[in-house]
Amino acid sequence: MISVRNLHKSFGDLHVLRGIDYEIKEKEVICVIGPSGSGKSTFLRCMNLLEDITKGEVVIDGVKINDPKTNINDIRREVGMVFQQFNLFPHMRVLDNITVSPIQIRKMNKKEAEELAHQLLKKVGLSDKANAYPEQLSGGQMQRVAIARALAMKPKIMLFDEPTSALDPEMVKEVLDVMKQLAVEGMTMVVVTHEMGFAKEMGDRVLFLDQGILIEEGSPSEIFSNPKNERTKAFFSKIL
Amino acid sequence: MRVDMFENIWSYRELFIRGIWVTLALTAVGYIGGFILGLFVGLGKLSKRKWIYYPAKYYVDFFRGTPLLVQILLIHTALIPSLFGHSLGFFVSGSVALMLNSAAYNAEIIRAGIQSIDKGQMEAARSLGMPHNTAMKLIILPQAFRRMIPPLGNELIALLKDSSLVTVIAASDLLYAGKVVAGAYSRFWEPYLTVAILYLILTFIFGKIINMIEKRFSNSYVPSSRKSISSDRRSRTGGDKR
Repeated sequence: MISVRNLHKSFGDLHVLRGIDYEIKEKEVICVIGPSGSGKSTFLRCMNLLEDITKGEVVIDGVKINDPKTNINDIRREVGMVFQQFNLFPHMRVLDNITVSPIQIRKMNKKEAEELAHQLLKKVGLSDKANAYPEQLSGGQMQRVAIARALAMKPKIMLFDEPTSALDPEMVKEVLDVMKQLAVEGMTMVVVTHEMGFAKEMGDRVLFLDQGILIEEGSPSEIFSNPKNERTKAFFSKIL
Repeated sequence: MRVDMFENIWSYRELFIRGIWVTLALTAVGYIGGFILGLFVGLGKLSKRKWIYYPAKYYVDFFRGTPLLVQILLIHTALIPSLFGHSLGFFVSGSVALMLNSAAYNAEIIRAGIQSIDKGQMEAARSLGMPHNTAMKLIILPQAFRRMIPPLGNELIALLKDSSLVTVIAASDLLYAGKVVAGAYSRFWEPYLTVAILYLILTFIFGKIINMIEKRFSNSYVPSSRKSISSDRRSRTGGDKR
């Protein structure tokens, strides 16, 4: 579903990604872990071209996304993204945050979009917050709205960029629970995370990145209980 | 100062009232035009395309880097006559000059306002599939405008005062009324004080209105938790950057 081939990304002289190859299959939950500065977030952001790709290619459903001929807006409609800082639109009610894109981009009519939004809010457990503004919500609630907003475009793939890192500890679970539910429903997900528990439980594959290189890849049990690479071992010895 | 002089001024009241209207009209046309033009120039200054960025940049550099008085004279005596063959009157020249000038200042206000919005907002909008312009219109500008309101209010008051410079092209604005009376009686204290006080009243009223708008929009996004706009707060509209 997503093919990443020889992906390089540089910010000026800083070579953040140094040739990553990986295939993501449909309905897989891929968890990307690694020390900070390893390029995990950049890797994720390259998949919907929030960062332009320096070298190599990313192919989603047979379409090379970093081809100048590709309309990136068409690709992004199919790829939902959830950010560490939520990035809800503060000037809109929760309901409008969710419906704005379906109405503007998918040309859905307002009533239909609002019905969809109410369904999604129910799914993330926030039925009563449709008319609230983001500033009235807790971090965990904001992140769940952000997930609902991304889902409203009916994406085929969901990207999560450290979705629980900015949350108070007691709010992490409510967000992870929503993500688990999505995974169970068969959503293809790429999750950059520090939540090793989530990666262990829900990940189909775990990728360990360090210094812009895919060091090790495998099922959670392989990676967590039996890491082969020294750097992976060193990383786990620090965090676990 | 002589009290009877104010009686003389009173007899010229229609000239002053007309002057107030001309000043207000010049300010209004200059400001609205300057805002719309400034929006495009400000967006131009944010463009990555060089052929959009550089004209916008040079525009701002020119109009902020030269005196408004020089711009007014250039437009009235050189630009408009060479475009149309004759003068189109002080109002056209004056309002065009004020518009072009305030567009440059507004452009910087608008550019800064847009840049002050967290870049995550644009990323979130783009990640939902919105094209850049749609995201700008629906997500960035509505948030940025709130932050632009205080400096845009200052700009309005600055423009109201700067509009007095059109007197040099014989515009019958408020200052001009004072000049006429001063010339007629060879008295300077009373007519110019009258003009100053009338400007002060105008800027005070504008300041109050701006203050209300500012309060309404610098408040919370949540309608129910907005503070009342009628409660008094110290005005901050005296600021002027020129």
